[in-house]
Amino acid sequence: MSLVKEPVISISGLWMKYSDKMVLRGIDLEVYPGQIIGYIGPNGAGKSTTVKIMLGLVEGYTGTVQIFGRDISDGNTDYKKRIGYVPEVAELYDSLTAREYLGFIGELYGMKHTEAEDKAKRLMGLLNLEQAYDMRISSYSKGMKQKVLLISSMLHNPDILFLDEPLSGLDANSVMVVKEIFASLAARGKTIFYSSHIMDVVEKISSRIILINGGDIVADGSFAELRERSREGSLEAIFNELTGFDRYRDIAGEFVEVIGEGDSGD
Amino acid sequence: MTEFYVLKLLDRLQGIFRRVGVNYPVLRSILQVKLTMDSRRTPTVLAGQKDAKETAEGSPFRIQWIYLLLGLMLILFVVQDGNYMYSMSITFGILMFMISTTLISDFSSVMLDLRDKNILFSKPVDRRTLNMAKSLHIFIYLLTLTLTVTGPSLIVSLFKQGPAFFFIYAAAVILMDCLILVFTALVYLLILRIFDGEKLKDLINYVQIILSIGIAVGYQLIARLFNVADLTLSYEPAWWQYLIAPVWFASPFELLLGGNRSAGLVVMSVMVLVIPLLLLAVYIRLMPLFERSLQKLSEENAGGRDSGRLARRLSELVCGSREEKLFFRFTWSMMRNEREFKLKVYPTFGLSMVLPFIFIFNILWSGGGLESFRSSSGFLFIYFCALLMMTAVQMLRYSTSYKAAWIYKAIPLPGMSPVYSGMLKALILRLLLPLFIIESVIFLWLFGSRLFPHLLAVLPALLLYSVICFRLLPKSLPFSEEYSAARQKEFTGTAFVQMFILMGLGGLHYVISLIPYGIYIYAPVLVTVNWWFWRISFLRAER
Repeated sequence: MSLVKEPVISISGLWMKYSDKMVLRGIDLEVYPGQIIGYIGPNGAGKSTTVKIMLGLVEGYTGTVQIFGRDISDGNTDYKKRIGYVPEVAELYDSLTAREYLGFIGELYGMKHTEAEDKAKRLMGLLNLEQAYDMRISSYSKGMKQKVLLISSMLHNPDILFLDEPLSGLDANSVMVVKEIFASLAARGKTIFYSSHIMDVVEKISSRIILINGGDIVADGSFAELRERSREGSLEAIFNELTGFDRYRDIAGEFVEVIGEGDSGD
Repeated sequence: MTEFYVLKLLDRLQGIFRRVGVNYPVLRSILQVKLTMDSRRTPTVLAGQKDAKETAEGSPFRIQWIYLLLGLMLILFVVQDGNYMYSMSITFGILMFMISTTLISDFSSVMLDLRDKNILFSKPVDRRTLNMAKSLHIFIYLLTLTLTVTGPSLIVSLFKQGPAFFFIYAAAVILMDCLILVFTALVYLLILRIFDGEKLKDLINYVQIILSIGIAVGYQLIARLFNVADLTLSYEPAWWQYLIAPVWFASPFELLLGGNRSAGLVVMSVMVLVIPLLLLAVYIRLMPLFERSLQKLSEENAGGRDSGRLARRLSELVCGSREEKLFFRFTWSMMRNEREFKLKVYPTFGLSMVLPFIFIFNILWSGGGLESFRSSSGFLFIYFCALLMMTAVQMLRYSTSYKAAWIYKAIPLPGMSPVYSGMLKALILRLLLPLFIIESVIFLWLFGSRLFPHLLAVLPALLLYSVICFRLLPKSLPFSEEYSAARQKEFTGTAFVQMFILMGLGGLHYVISLIPYGIYIYAPVLVTVNWWFWRISFLRAER
C-alpha cells in the first residue's frame, strides 16, 4: 500500500496494579486497521484488564493508551461510539425484550431509536432469532443471548470490535457465520481484537496473535511466525511452551487420583 | 416500552440538564429502560415451582397504602394555625426521618451499584450522565414516596391555609428530598475517597448504622425544641437549631406567613434554599469522581479469611440433620459476604438497636423519675429489637447472584424444610441474638436483676416471632431472587401485620407481668409453644 497506515490502537508502557498485585507489566502494542488480533494468555494473565482499560472501564493504570490517535484518559467518551464490545460474561438487561434492549443500546451509541430497532430486527432475522425478537431476553438460551450481545456490539457499525470469548455458547453453524462476519469486517478495514481460550479458533481466524503471560507480551506475530519461532505444530502447543507449562499430564493424573480417593460423604 | 409520565415532565427540564453537562437523550433512554425494568419481574430460576402469576406487572409508582395512612396523620399538623415553627418542624422531622431511613436502607445498593458499569460505561456515556441517571432514578422513587406521604396534607393545606402555604410546602418538600439524597451521596463519596478495599466495604455498613442511628436520635431533638408542658408551645430560638434541618424547613412558614421577622428565621429560611442547591451543585461537580471512586468497591481483595469454625460449632449445636447444618453454614457465610444483604439489613440493625432506648429516653424526659421508671413495664420496649427480623427475613431471599439458586434443584435434597430452618437459625444466631444480648445487658443494668425472668420470656417470644415473620412472608429460598425496589411494596401489607403481632406479643407480656409470678408460668409456656410452632412450621414448609 502506498501510505503508512496510522495505528487505531497504540498502547505504550501500560502498567496496572490491583491492590497489591501487578496485572500488567509494561505492555507496548500497536494495532492497525484490518487486523484480527487474537489476544491470548492463561487465566489471570491480564487480557480482560487490557480490554477494560481501553474501554475506560478500569482506571488507575500508568502509561498511555491512544485509540484513533487520541489519548483516552482525557475524559472524552466519543471514541466509544466507534467501538463495539462483547464482554466475557453475558451481561445484559435480561428483563427487557431484544427489541427494547437493542433499541436502547443503539440509542446509547447515538443512533435513532427506530433506526436501531429496525436494523436490530434485520440482524436478528439473519441469525435465526426472528421469533424471539419480542421475547424477554431472560427466556433465551445461552447461545441466543450471545447472539444478542454480538448484534449489540456491531449495531452501530464500529471500527474496532473488542470481543471476549465471542463464540461461547454458539452452535457450530452459527460459529461459521460469525467467523465469516469477522473476516469480512476485517477485509473492510475494521479492527477486531479477539480474546479466547479456544486455540483452534484463534489459530484459524487471527491475522496476528499476541500472547501475554504474567502481564507481559511474550509473543507477537502471525501464526506462521510463531510456529517458526517455537517449532511446535499447533497454537495450543506453542501456548503451552511459551507459558512454560509442560506438566499437564502429571496434573491430570493427580487430579483423577484425588477424585477417586475415599468416598465423598462424611 | 411504556412511556412514563415522569419522563415527559423531565423533558420540560432538559435545558437545565444540558447546562450542567448532561447528555439528555442518553439520560432519558437510560431512565426509561430502568423504569421499565423495575416494573417487570425477573423470573427466578425456581419460578417453575410457583404458580405462574408472572403476568402481574407492578408499576413502580403504585401507591403504598401505609405511607398514605401516615400522610393522613400529617394533616393534623398542617391544619393548625399560628405556631408554624412547632407544627412544621414536627412535620418535616417525621418526613425527613422516614425518607432518609428509606433511602439509606433501600437505595444504598442502587447508589453503590456497579453492575451497570460494564453494560453502560462501555458505550459512549459519560460519567456525569450515568451518575445523573442513577441519582434521578432514586430521586423519582423518593419523590413518589414523599408525594404519597405529603399528598393528603398538601391538598388539605391548599384549602385550609391557602395557596401561599401550599406552594411553600411543596417547594420545601422537593428541596428536602434533594437535600437528603445529595447529603447521603456526599457522605458515601467521602467514605469512598478516604478508605480502600475490603475495609471500605465494611465501613459502608458501619456508616449506614451510624447514619440511621443519627437520624433516629436527631429526630428526637425536634420534639425537645419546644416547651411542650407550656400550652402556648412557645418557640425559643437557640443556636443548636441551626444544626437541625427540619427546623430550617419550618422557618419560611413562620417568616412568610406567621409574620415573625426575627433574624434567626431569615437566616434559616435562606439556608433552606441555599444549602440543598449548594450541595447539589457540589454533587453535580463531583459526580464523575463518585463514579470513579465506586470502582474501588469492585476491586477484588483476598477477602476475610474465615475458617468457618464458629459457624461449624454453632451448627453442631443448634441444627439436627446434616442438610440443616449445611444450610446453616451456607446462610451464615452468605450473610457475611453478600454486600446487598448487608446494605439493606445493617441500617435496620442500627435502628433496632437504638429504638428501645429512644422510647425509654422519651418517657424519662417527659417527667417521671428514674426510680419510678425502673419499676414500670418500660422494659417491654426491648420487643422493638425484633423489628430487625421483619427486614432481615424478607431480605434473605435476595442476592446479586440469584441465578446461582439452581443448586437447590441440582443437589440431592430430601426436602426443602432443612433449607428454611437452617437459614432461619443462622439468621437468628448471627443477627438477632447478638442484638438481644447487647440490649439485655443494658436493660439489666437499667432495670436491675428483677428483669431477668422477663428476659427469659422475651427470648422465646422473639424466636417465635422470627418464625411468624418467616411464615407470613411468601416462601422463597435464600438468596434466590433479584432485588427490585418496586417489588418491595408488595410486602408493606405484611409488614403491617407483623407490626401488630409484635405489639400483641408485647401486650401479652404486659398482661402476664400484672399477674404475680405469672412470668414463671408464661416463660415455660412460650418455650413449649415455640418448640411446637417451629416444628409444624418446618414440617409444613416441606411442601
